[in-house]
Amino acid sequence: MASYKHTAALPDTVLRVKALESLLTEKGLIDPAALDELIDTYENRIGPRNGAQVVARAWADPEYKKRLLDDGTSAILELGFSGVQGEDMVIVENTPSVHNMIVCTLCSCYPWPVLGLPPVWFKSAPYRSRAVIDPRGVLKEFGVELDPDIEIRVWDSTAETRYMVLPLQPEGTDGMSEDELADIVQRDSMIGTAVVTAP
Amino acid sequence: MVLTKDMVAGLVSTGGSARVDADVAPIFKAGDRVTGRNINPVGHTRLPRYVRGHTGVVDRDHGVFSFPDGSSVGQDKPQHLYSVVFEAEELWGPDAADNFKVYVDMWDDYLEPAP
Repeated sequence: MASYKHTAALPDTVLRVKALESLLTEKGLIDPAALDELIDTYENRIGPRNGAQVVARAWADPEYKKRLLDDGTSAILELGFSGVQGEDMVIVENTPSVHNMIVCTLCSCYPWPVLGLPPVWFKSAPYRSRAVIDPRGVLKEFGVELDPDIEIRVWDSTAETRYMVLPLQPEGTDGMSEDELADIVQRDSMIGTAVVTAP
Repeated sequence: MVLTKDMVAGLVSTGGSARVDADVAPIFKAGDRVTGRNINPVGHTRLPRYVRGHTGVVDRDHGVFSFPDGSSVGQDKPQHLYSVVFEAEELWGPDAADNFKVYVDMWDDYLEPAP
Protein backbone atom coordinates (compact mmCIF):
# COMPACT_ATOMS: atom_id res chain seq x y z
CA MET A 1 0.00 0.00 0.00
CA ALA A 2 1.19 3.51 -0.80
CA SER A 3 2.94 5.56 1.80
CA TYR A 4 0.44 7.80 3.61
CA LYS A 5 2.59 10.85 3.94
CA HIS A 6 2.22 11.66 0.23
CA THR A 7 -1.55 11.49 0.20
CA ALA A 8 -4.43 13.06 2.05
CA ALA A 9 -5.86 9.64 2.92
CA LEU A 10 -6.02 9.16 6.65
CA PRO A 11 -5.53 5.79 8.28
CA ASP A 12 -9.08 6.14 9.67
CA THR A 13 -10.41 6.32 6.13
CA VAL A 14 -8.38 3.31 5.09
CA LEU A 15 -9.71 1.32 8.03
CA ARG A 16 -13.25 2.30 7.20
CA VAL A 17 -12.78 1.22 3.57
CA LYS A 18 -11.33 -2.10 4.67
CA ALA A 19 -14.23 -2.70 7.05
CA LEU A 20 -16.77 -1.84 4.35
CA GLU A 21 -15.05 -4.07 1.82
CA SER A 22 -15.04 -7.01 4.26
CA LEU A 23 -18.69 -6.52 5.07
CA LEU A 24 -19.77 -6.21 1.43
CA THR A 25 -17.75 -9.30 0.53
CA GLU A 26 -19.22 -11.32 3.40
CA LYS A 27 -22.72 -10.35 2.33
CA GLY A 28 -21.95 -11.38 -1.25
CA LEU A 29 -22.62 -7.90 -2.62
CA ILE A 30 -19.20 -7.50 -4.20
CA ASP A 31 -16.71 -9.90 -5.75
CA PRO A 32 -13.19 -9.11 -4.46
CA ALA A 33 -11.69 -10.44 -7.72
CA ALA A 34 -13.69 -7.82 -9.64
CA LEU A 35 -12.42 -5.12 -7.27
CA ASP A 36 -8.82 -6.26 -7.85
CA GLU A 37 -9.42 -6.18 -11.60
CA LEU A 38 -10.82 -2.64 -11.40
CA ILE A 39 -7.89 -1.45 -9.31
CA ASP A 40 -5.38 -3.14 -11.63
CA THR A 41 -7.09 -1.56 -14.64
CA TYR A 42 -6.75 1.97 -13.31
CA GLU A 43 -3.36 1.49 -11.64
CA ASN A 44 -1.59 -0.24 -14.51
CA ARG A 45 -3.52 -0.04 -17.76
CA ILE A 46 -5.46 3.20 -17.98
CA GLY A 47 -3.62 6.40 -17.20
CA PRO A 48 -2.25 9.68 -18.55
CA ARG A 49 -0.11 7.90 -21.17
CA ASN A 50 -3.38 7.47 -23.07
CA GLY A 51 -4.01 11.20 -23.07
CA ALA A 52 -0.39 11.85 -24.07
CA GLN A 53 -0.92 9.70 -27.17
CA VAL A 54 -4.01 11.72 -28.05
CA VAL A 55 -2.08 14.99 -27.66
CA ALA A 56 0.88 13.72 -29.70
CA ARG A 57 -1.42 12.59 -32.50
CA ALA A 58 -3.15 16.00 -32.51
CA TRP A 59 0.20 17.78 -32.74
CA ALA A 60 1.43 15.52 -35.52
CA ASP A 61 -1.75 15.34 -37.57
CA PRO A 62 -3.75 18.55 -38.20
CA GLU A 63 -6.72 16.59 -39.54
CA TYR A 64 -6.86 14.52 -36.36
CA LYS A 65 -6.60 17.68 -34.28
CA LYS A 66 -9.59 19.11 -36.13
CA ARG A 67 -11.64 15.98 -35.39
CA LEU A 68 -10.49 16.00 -31.77
CA LEU A 69 -11.63 19.59 -31.19
CA ASP A 70 -14.85 18.97 -33.09
CA ASP A 71 -15.86 15.69 -31.38
CA GLY A 72 -13.47 14.69 -28.62
CA THR A 73 -15.21 11.42 -27.74
CA SER A 74 -15.05 9.99 -31.29
CA ALA A 75 -11.50 11.15 -31.96
CA ILE A 76 -10.28 9.63 -28.69
CA LEU A 77 -12.04 6.38 -29.57
CA GLU A 78 -10.01 6.31 -32.82
CA LEU A 79 -7.00 5.59 -30.59
CA GLY A 80 -8.94 2.93 -28.71
CA PHE A 81 -9.75 4.87 -25.57
CA SER A 82 -13.33 5.09 -24.30
CA GLY A 83 -15.60 4.34 -21.41
CA VAL A 84 -16.43 5.25 -17.85
CA GLN A 85 -16.02 8.98 -17.12
CA GLY A 86 -15.11 9.72 -20.73
CA GLU A 87 -18.44 9.13 -22.44
CA ASP A 88 -18.76 12.79 -23.49
CA MET A 89 -15.38 14.41 -23.96
CA VAL A 90 -14.63 18.03 -24.81
CA ILE A 91 -11.07 19.02 -25.70
CA VAL A 92 -10.03 22.62 -25.09
CA GLU A 93 -7.03 23.93 -26.99
CA ASN A 94 -4.27 26.09 -25.57
CA THR A 95 -2.99 28.76 -27.94
CA PRO A 96 -0.35 31.48 -27.57
CA SER A 97 -3.10 33.75 -26.18
CA VAL A 98 -5.33 31.29 -24.25
CA HIS A 99 -4.54 28.86 -21.44
CA ASN A 100 -7.18 26.39 -20.28
CA MET A 101 -7.41 24.58 -16.97
CA ILE A 102 -9.83 22.00 -15.64
CA VAL A 103 -11.48 21.72 -12.24
CA CYS A 104 -14.51 20.07 -10.72
CA THR A 105 -15.66 22.42 -7.96
CA LEU A 106 -18.51 20.11 -6.94
CA CYS A 107 -16.58 16.85 -6.55
CA SER A 108 -13.80 15.19 -8.55
CA CYS A 109 -15.04 14.72 -12.16
CA TYR A 110 -12.08 13.75 -14.31
CA PRO A 111 -11.61 12.11 -17.75
CA TRP A 112 -10.61 8.60 -16.70
CA PRO A 113 -10.07 6.93 -20.14
CA VAL A 114 -7.41 9.47 -21.10
CA LEU A 115 -5.94 10.52 -17.75
CA GLY A 116 -6.67 7.64 -15.37
CA LEU A 117 -7.80 8.42 -11.84
CA PRO A 118 -7.45 11.98 -10.53
CA PRO A 119 -4.49 12.97 -8.37
CA VAL A 120 -5.27 13.72 -4.71
CA TRP A 121 -4.75 17.47 -5.16
CA PHE A 122 -7.38 17.59 -7.93
CA LYS A 123 -9.93 16.31 -5.40
CA SER A 124 -8.78 18.59 -2.58
CA ALA A 125 -10.96 21.47 -1.37
CA PRO A 126 -8.19 24.09 -1.80
CA TYR A 127 -7.68 23.32 -5.51
CA ARG A 128 -11.41 23.02 -6.18
CA SER A 129 -12.29 26.29 -4.46
CA ARG A 130 -9.34 28.39 -5.60
CA ALA A 131 -9.10 27.35 -9.26
CA VAL A 132 -12.23 29.34 -10.13
CA ILE A 133 -11.35 32.50 -8.18
CA ASP A 134 -7.56 32.73 -8.46
CA PRO A 135 -6.37 30.51 -11.31
CA ARG A 136 -3.18 32.53 -11.84
CA GLY A 137 -2.26 32.15 -8.17
CA VAL A 138 -2.92 28.41 -8.31
CA LEU A 139 -0.86 28.05 -11.49
CA LYS A 140 1.99 29.96 -9.86
CA GLU A 141 2.03 27.40 -7.06
CA PHE A 142 2.33 24.72 -9.73
CA GLY A 143 5.35 26.60 -11.10
CA VAL A 144 3.51 28.04 -14.09
CA GLU A 145 3.82 31.81 -14.52
CA LEU A 146 1.74 32.99 -17.42
CA ASP A 147 2.09 36.32 -19.16
CA PRO A 148 -0.70 38.66 -17.92
CA ASP A 149 -1.86 39.01 -21.53
CA ILE A 150 -2.73 35.31 -21.71
CA GLU A 151 -6.40 34.72 -21.03
CA ILE A 152 -7.11 31.86 -18.63
CA ARG A 153 -10.23 29.78 -19.21
CA VAL A 154 -11.24 27.62 -16.27
CA TRP A 155 -13.59 24.75 -17.13
CA ASP A 156 -15.71 23.61 -14.19
CA SER A 157 -16.87 20.03 -14.86
CA THR A 158 -20.30 20.46 -13.28
CA ALA A 159 -22.09 18.01 -15.59
CA GLU A 160 -21.28 14.72 -17.34
CA THR A 161 -19.06 16.31 -19.97
CA ARG A 162 -15.40 15.65 -19.25
CA TYR A 163 -12.70 18.09 -20.28
CA MET A 164 -9.09 17.62 -21.32
CA VAL A 165 -6.60 20.32 -22.29
CA LEU A 166 -4.72 20.11 -25.57
CA PRO A 167 -1.47 21.76 -24.49
CA LEU A 168 0.55 24.07 -26.70
CA GLN A 169 3.24 22.19 -28.61
CA PRO A 170 6.63 23.53 -27.53
CA GLU A 171 8.75 25.22 -30.16
CA GLY A 172 11.47 23.17 -31.76
CA THR A 173 9.61 19.85 -31.51
CA ASP A 174 8.17 19.75 -35.03
CA GLY A 175 10.61 17.11 -36.17
CA MET A 176 9.85 14.69 -33.34
CA SER A 177 7.97 11.44 -33.91
CA GLU A 178 4.56 10.87 -32.38
CA ASP A 179 6.06 8.53 -29.76
CA GLU A 180 8.72 11.08 -28.87
CA LEU A 181 6.07 13.79 -28.58
CA ALA A 182 3.93 11.60 -26.33
CA ASP A 183 6.92 11.15 -24.02
CA ILE A 184 7.16 14.89 -23.29
CA VAL A 185 3.45 15.28 -22.44
CA GLN A 186 2.88 14.92 -18.73
CA ARG A 187 -0.44 14.51 -16.92
CA ASP A 188 -0.70 18.00 -15.44
CA SER A 189 -0.36 19.66 -18.83
CA MET A 190 -3.60 17.93 -19.85
CA ILE A 191 -5.34 19.24 -16.71
CA GLY A 192 -3.90 22.67 -17.44
CA THR A 193 -1.75 23.04 -14.33
CA ALA A 194 1.48 22.63 -16.31
CA VAL A 195 2.81 23.51 -19.72
CA VAL A 196 4.79 21.17 -21.96
CA THR A 197 8.43 22.07 -22.47
CA ALA A 198 10.82 20.82 -25.12
CA PRO A 199 13.17 18.06 -23.91
CA MET B 1 -26.31 -8.61 -9.96
CA VAL B 2 -22.79 -8.70 -8.61
CA LEU B 3 -20.01 -7.38 -10.85
CA THR B 4 -17.57 -10.19 -11.62
CA LYS B 5 -13.99 -10.02 -12.82
CA ASP B 6 -14.84 -10.95 -16.40
CA MET B 7 -17.36 -8.09 -16.63
CA VAL B 8 -14.88 -5.37 -15.65
CA ALA B 9 -13.16 -4.76 -19.02
CA GLY B 10 -16.48 -4.37 -20.87
CA LEU B 11 -17.91 -2.10 -18.23
CA VAL B 12 -14.83 0.11 -18.09
CA SER B 13 -14.50 0.58 -21.86
CA THR B 14 -18.22 1.13 -22.45
CA GLY B 15 -19.38 3.27 -19.56
CA GLY B 16 -22.76 4.90 -19.86
CA SER B 17 -23.39 8.30 -21.34
CA ALA B 18 -25.85 10.63 -19.63
CA ARG B 19 -26.73 11.93 -23.08
CA VAL B 20 -30.39 11.32 -23.86
CA ASP B 21 -31.69 10.67 -27.34
CA ALA B 22 -34.81 12.77 -26.99
CA ASP B 23 -36.32 15.47 -29.13
CA VAL B 24 -36.23 18.29 -26.61
CA ALA B 25 -36.07 21.87 -27.91
CA PRO B 26 -33.29 24.06 -26.53
CA ILE B 27 -34.41 27.17 -24.67
CA PHE B 28 -31.13 28.99 -25.29
CA LYS B 29 -28.51 29.17 -28.02
CA ALA B 30 -24.84 30.09 -28.24
CA GLY B 31 -24.37 33.82 -27.68
CA ASP B 32 -27.46 34.25 -25.45
CA ARG B 33 -26.95 36.14 -22.19
CA VAL B 34 -28.24 34.03 -19.33
CA THR B 35 -28.45 34.29 -15.55
CA GLY B 36 -27.99 31.41 -13.14
CA ARG B 37 -31.27 31.00 -11.28
CA ASN B 38 -31.12 31.77 -7.58
CA ILE B 39 -32.58 28.46 -6.51
CA ASN B 40 -31.60 26.53 -3.42
CA PRO B 41 -32.93 23.00 -3.77
CA VAL B 42 -33.01 20.84 -0.68
CA GLY B 43 -32.04 17.79 -2.74
CA HIS B 44 -29.25 17.00 -5.17
CA THR B 45 -28.20 19.66 -7.65
CA ARG B 46 -25.19 20.31 -9.89
CA LEU B 47 -25.70 24.08 -9.90
CA PRO B 48 -22.71 25.66 -8.13
CA ARG B 49 -23.60 28.40 -5.66
CA TYR B 50 -21.01 30.77 -7.11
CA VAL B 51 -22.97 31.22 -10.35
CA ARG B 52 -26.45 31.60 -8.85
CA GLY B 53 -27.69 35.09 -9.64
CA HIS B 54 -24.77 35.80 -11.98
CA THR B 55 -24.92 36.50 -15.69
CA GLY B 56 -22.87 34.84 -18.40
CA VAL B 57 -23.06 33.95 -22.07
CA VAL B 58 -23.94 30.57 -23.60
CA ASP B 59 -20.72 29.35 -25.21
CA ARG B 60 -22.05 26.12 -26.71
CA ASP B 61 -24.93 23.68 -26.54
CA HIS B 62 -23.75 20.19 -25.54
CA GLY B 63 -27.06 18.56 -26.50
CA VAL B 64 -29.74 16.84 -24.42
CA PHE B 65 -28.64 15.27 -21.15
CA SER B 66 -30.23 13.62 -18.17
CA PHE B 67 -31.04 16.25 -15.52
CA PRO B 68 -29.45 15.34 -12.18
CA ASP B 69 -31.84 17.25 -9.92
CA GLY B 70 -34.63 15.10 -11.33
CA SER B 71 -32.88 11.80 -12.02
CA SER B 72 -31.51 11.73 -8.45
CA VAL B 73 -35.08 11.30 -7.20
CA GLY B 74 -36.21 9.02 -10.02
CA GLN B 75 -37.94 11.76 -12.00
CA ASP B 76 -35.63 12.57 -14.87
CA LYS B 77 -36.35 15.57 -17.07
CA PRO B 78 -33.88 15.43 -19.98
CA GLN B 79 -32.98 18.87 -21.30
CA HIS B 80 -30.26 20.83 -23.05
CA LEU B 81 -26.95 21.28 -21.32
CA TYR B 82 -24.81 24.30 -22.16
CA SER B 83 -21.38 25.56 -21.39
CA VAL B 84 -21.93 29.05 -19.98
CA VAL B 85 -18.99 31.44 -19.71
CA PHE B 86 -18.74 33.96 -16.87
CA GLU B 87 -16.32 36.87 -16.69
CA ALA B 88 -14.20 36.91 -13.52
CA GLU B 89 -15.53 40.34 -12.46
CA GLU B 90 -19.13 39.17 -12.78
CA LEU B 91 -18.44 36.33 -10.35
CA TRP B 92 -15.95 37.88 -7.96
CA GLY B 93 -16.48 41.64 -8.15
CA PRO B 94 -14.29 44.55 -9.20
CA ASP B 95 -11.27 43.21 -7.31
CA ALA B 96 -11.32 39.91 -9.18
CA ALA B 97 -8.01 38.63 -10.51
CA ASP B 98 -7.25 39.75 -14.06
CA ASN B 99 -7.93 38.18 -17.42
CA PHE B 100 -9.75 34.96 -16.79
CA LYS B 101 -13.15 33.41 -17.40
CA VAL B 102 -14.98 30.46 -15.91
CA TYR B 103 -16.95 28.01 -18.06
CA VAL B 104 -19.70 26.13 -16.22
CA ASP B 105 -21.92 23.36 -17.59
CA MET B 106 -25.56 24.28 -16.89
CA TRP B 107 -28.93 22.79 -17.82
CA ASP B 108 -31.96 24.76 -19.05
CA ASP B 109 -33.62 24.57 -15.63
CA TYR B 110 -30.62 26.33 -14.05
CA LEU B 111 -30.92 29.33 -16.36
CA GLU B 112 -33.15 32.26 -17.11
CA PRO B 113 -32.77 34.93 -19.81
CA ALA B 114 -30.55 37.76 -18.56
CA PRO B 115 -32.47 40.98 -17.90
